[in-house]
Amino acid sequence: MHTASLERPNAAERAFIDQVIISRTGHPGALLGILESVQERHPNKYLPLETLEYIAAQTNTPLSRIYSVVTFYALFNLQPQGDNTICICRGTACHTRGSRNLLQSVRLELGLGLEDASETSEADKTLLTTPDHKFTVRTVACFGQCAMAPVVEVNHRICGHVNERTLQREIRTVERESY
Amino acid sequence: MRLPQKKLSIRIDGELISAVEGQTILQAAKANGKYIPTLCDLEGLTPVGACRLCIVEISGTDRLFPACTTPIQDGMSVTTASTRLAHHRRISVELLLVERNHTCAVCVSNGHCELQSLASAMGISTVRFAYNYPKLGVDLSHPRFVLDHNRCILCTRCVRACADLEGAHVWEITSRGIHSRIVSDLNQKWGESRSCTNCGKCVQACPTGALAAKGCAVEEMVKRADNISSLVHRREVQV
Ligand code: SF4
Ligand code: SF4
Ligand code: FES
Ligand code: FES
Repeated sequence: MHTASLERPNAAERAFIDQVIISRTGHPGALLGILESVQERHPNKYLPLETLEYIAAQTNTPLSRIYSVVTFYALFNLQPQGDNTICICRGTACHTRGSRNLLQSVRLELGLGLEDASETSEADKTLLTTPDHKFTVRTVACFGQCAMAPVVEVNHRICGHVNERTLQREIRTVERESY
Repeated sequence: MRLPQKKLSIRIDGELISAVEGQTILQAAKANGKYIPTLCDLEGLTPVGACRLCIVEISGTDRLFPACTTPIQDGMSVTTASTRLAHHRRISVELLLVERNHTCAVCVSNGHCELQSLASAMGISTVRFAYNYPKLGVDLSHPRFVLDHNRCILCTRCVRACADLEGAHVWEITSRGIHSRIVSDLNQKWGESRSCTNCGKCVQACPTGALAAKGCAVEEMVKRADNISSLVHRREVQV
């Protein structure tokens, strides 16, 4: 269950949202574009509930419709994201090449604990952020790069044929860069 | 002024009937006293074709079509009952039964539930798939009504009744696949929803015990889904 956080958009954010709404309204799929731009602008790459409320009011969209859209597409976040995102593919090709172990080792590496039994029912959806907000670990159903399985995306950069060692190195590198 | 509507002739189960252009197969069938099983359809609400119970065969094609969303065409020949249709409808009902916790014996809608009536009309007393037994919540926050996710079949009749008729659009479906749920506003509790007008239309539209009036014991929740349909008809009457 999502417990999205509250954060009222300030004047600058509201101005930006108004601007995006004006430029998108009338185009097909306007709501998706609006939500995407607003999320992209947020330093923590997410959509706070109060921002959704504001967008709903300004676009005359029912709240439930907005909530339905942001929970349907994996692209949208209701939780603040870490500075770095490690996205592990859990598709069939990557699974057969050991992506579960990669996921487990990243979780251990970042102190996120091992998967517990209650989570396995929602195994298709892992989304965890470290308490210091440095890393978010998430999964995806397939990157469409199955030939390079197992595939991991580190800050939007696709890495193929990953093993635990190379993944650890990637994490160290981004960790160093973010200081 | 409305243009006179074009009359079409179609065959339903071999019988020649005349119908009006723009009608769906289901509407034409109903107007001529033919029965097609339905669950997500409710007269007056926009059809969505979610439950696949109303599937029919159309001569000249191997595909099955949902009667509630397929418009009639002149000369069409429709079959509403066959072994093949019964087979597929049965699968749909069985899957609905295993997805959530349909424990009729302790349900407020026991004896007045559309899913239950359909299952018994089809002679479904056992299912061949494993029960899912999800642990789902019950929302008791509304002063007058209850939402029990354990009985919801995601037909979206409540969504459409609230959006199309009441204009409040409190409900939507969140997430997808097996994780789909009915949700009010931004996942607020129903009782905290600022858009709900407490009209009760969603409750009457719901085919199962998922939405009910508070205080009903087992078997006590009798729905008046026909009230929704007649409300739509009264609104359509031009004075
Ligand atoms: S009671 Fe009326 S307004 Fe409230 S959710 Fe149901 S249909 Fe919508
Ligand atoms: S609550 Fe009732 S009407 Fe709404 S989707 Fe679930 S079963 Fe259908
Ligand atoms: S399964 Fe991992 S990229 Fe396709
Ligand atoms: S009644 Fe036609 S698909 Fe549900």
